[in-house]
Amino acid sequence: MDYLKKVFAIVEKDIISELRTKELFTSMLVFVLLTLVIFNFAFGQDTQADMVDLASGILWVAFLFASILGLNRSFVHEKDEGCMDGLMLCPVDRSAIYIAKVIGNLIFISIVELITVPIFVLFFIKDAAGINFLFFALIIFLSNLGISAIGTLLSAISINTRARDLMMPILFFPVIVPVLISAVKSSSVILVASNPITDVYAWLQVLVVYDMIFLLISYLTFEYILEE
Amino acid sequence: MKRKGSNTSSSPIIEVDGLCKKFGRRQILNGIDLRVFPGDFLTIFGSNGAGKTTLLKILSTLVLPSSGTVEIGGFDIKEDSNGVRSQIGLISHNSYLYPDLTAYENLRFYGKMFAVPRLENRITELLELVELEHRKFDLVRTFSCGMQQRLSIARALLHDSPIFFLDEPYSGLDVHASEILDRVLTNLKNENHTFLLTTHDLIKGIEVCTRVAILNNGVISYEAPKGEIDPAHFPDVYKKCIEVD
Repeated sequence: MDYLKKVFAIVEKDIISELRTKELFTSMLVFVLLTLVIFNFAFGQDTQADMVDLASGILWVAFLFASILGLNRSFVHEKDEGCMDGLMLCPVDRSAIYIAKVIGNLIFISIVELITVPIFVLFFIKDAAGINFLFFALIIFLSNLGISAIGTLLSAISINTRARDLMMPILFFPVIVPVLISAVKSSSVILVASNPITDVYAWLQVLVVYDMIFLLISYLTFEYILEE
Repeated sequence: MKRKGSNTSSSPIIEVDGLCKKFGRRQILNGIDLRVFPGDFLTIFGSNGAGKTTLLKILSTLVLPSSGTVEIGGFDIKEDSNGVRSQIGLISHNSYLYPDLTAYENLRFYGKMFAVPRLENRITELLELVELEHRKFDLVRTFSCGMQQRLSIARALLHDSPIFFLDEPYSGLDVHASEILDRVLTNLKNENHTFLLTTHDLIKGIEVCTRVAILNNGVISYEAPKGEIDPAHFPDVYKKCIEVD
């Protein structure tokens, strides 16, 4: 119980800070919106069902690059303001700091997606009536969880390196490939109303397993990553 | 056998044995042995790069030692670092405050992290102590350096720890903030708290302490109780210790 209280204290602190500065949120939102608008102009209004593969690819590349902006800042902010040591001086398991940062990143990414997904559907999906949005939300949540779990861990690793802004994407992109492929494939299935829902199950399983593996690995190793 | 986390007044509250720290090939600490007893105020002097901050960072669990053992309040820093953290308060030239949070939000955050009981009352009490109650709901970003240091003192006092580490606490403080820090330290000394101060300021360091040590090239090269020190000649002793190596 005490552990959870401390997790939520860190999450609350990050949310209050972000609400004041709007630093992450604005940059992430603007990036996704710009990407969608640019691709919408590039492809015009003639996006057909057979272009859904491409559209879901555009969506996830936009989300992924926007996430990098946020994930990169999650520890940089603490480090630059000299607060990382203050956090480390608190009698709390390092895993609680990890879990709190994952939750915080998940919230920020999800809010950006909540705003941009309707715009994406408007731009790229002609027949949105039969789409199972509940499943689509599940895919987005599981993919976000994977992105946050891996990104938070790698952000903590890259924070102490000299070229941290460069290091994060270099470490992140190769590791996130399975999540990205599963997100794109499952989204392109779900965004066509006529596709059977069962085609998504295999990709969802990949996402669940990958999320669980990375959450567990990060939970167990985070203490050693933060030391020095 | 000593119980984990327990301390009697006769046993040291801080026990350091053979502490070494290497950063790459550089040996920063080279076998530190130290005993600090409850109620002690130990001032550690040393030139730049002597290892004072590294020593405090190890004692505060921020940096792991390369070898040696450290026990604080009966807790081993490697085996029970959370136990150690609950026993210490660190006042440093770095405030550890979040600039985008208010003074109140900063103290509330740290209070929650240390599970401070009756937190609201404690925050009010401490803001009054450091004379910042009128700026309670202002962002720390808008505070002067001295005000941030005063709030940082309140942050370190939040969980009423028995041990305080002070890393150059007077640097960057204006006269008013220095007076507040002096007053806080006097009150805490009267309540039998234990202190470990690192500083360059020989006069201030001797004034507040009960014991003095000089750290040079990663080892304690001089140690004496305050009663055995002649403040007028101490600068010569200090220079001699530094020059020997």
